[in-house]
Amino acid sequence: MDVLFLFEWLDTSFLATISKAYGGVFAVIQMFHLAALAVMGGMVMASDLRLLNVLLRDVPSEVVLANTNRWFDYSLIVLLVSGVFMASAVAMKLYYSEMYWAKMAGLFAGMAFVYFVRRPLFRGGLEGVSPLAIKITAISSIIVWVTVAACGRWIGFS
Amino acid sequence: MNDLLLGLARWVDTQDWSTQIHESIYLYSWIETTHVLTLMLFLGMLVIIDLRMMGKSFTGVPAAQLAERLNRPMVIGFVVMVVTGFLLYYAIPVRTTQSIWFRIKVVLLVAAGINAWLFHRAMRDSVDTWGQDEVPPDRIRRGAATSLTLWLGVVFTGRAIAYDWYDCHKPQSEFVYWAAGCVDELAALPQ
Repeated sequence: MDVLFLFEWLDTSFLATISKAYGGVFAVIQMFHLAALAVMGGMVMASDLRLLNVLLRDVPSEVVLANTNRWFDYSLIVLLVSGVFMASAVAMKLYYSEMYWAKMAGLFAGMAFVYFVRRPLFRGGLEGVSPLAIKITAISSIIVWVTVAACGRWIGFS
Repeated sequence: MNDLLLGLARWVDTQDWSTQIHESIYLYSWIETTHVLTLMLFLGMLVIIDLRMMGKSFTGVPAAQLAERLNRPMVIGFVVMVVTGFLLYYAIPVRTTQSIWFRIKVVLLVAAGINAWLFHRAMRDSVDTWGQDEVPPDRIRRGAATSLTLWLGVVFTGRAIAYDWYDCHKPQSEFVYWAAGCVDELAALPQ
């Protein structure tokens, strides 16, 4: 399915009018995007390194997951909202950017992974889950989110 | 002072390695990517510690225990950020030296460092009395909020360095020329 029409719509939307006309507003939103990325990264690192038994080994994994999941959700919302605004400024450029689509693929894979695999898997605690599955889940999570962040940065270079 | 900083930056700018990093297709990008990605480790750990100190997260975990456990990855992240940050400066020394955002960032970094030192000392001296509390005392919460604010400021100003709104080559007010260290432009102003 070609989503070009979505980008054409975004390119002429009210958001685009603001993001293109006011560079200062764009910059501030971009800074919130970066700050939210840092928060999300921290939550991913803390929870996944705990699952890998590298960090916070004397704190139960369930406690770490419960505390990091909430802030992960908050930061993801900020990232998505600010991301759409930022995309509106350069919508047509992004449509033709391979790095942008790599980031989107990673983002949607990451969100599906978190909400349909990772959280359901650990919902009842970690006791019934095999250690190998826990480690694979944690490593996959780190790889997905670091890739998304790196692709995001490389959009600017491409 | 501005003359000295600019002189140093111009000397760094003449170094072969500075030019090579700046002009490389991939190296500069990878250094910058590493700088940003390490933010996830450093600032991410710092946010978790500060949220605990503000009573907003990990309230069931003793504050000192959490801070101690997350300290190492946070320091590793900070060291990588300092190294990559230095390389980014090394690659573009003159423009960075004359960036008002870079200058504010350095001031905020120093302020964040002083706050971290004071905060750590206050925590060490009093954590026995509140370390198990879900919500720490006011002054600890204020210290954590100050820490978060200062570091967010560092992130904001760091990102703003890329923008050229206040660059010396553009017409600016005398104050901006002074604050950004635009030595030549200041000298060229009519007296």
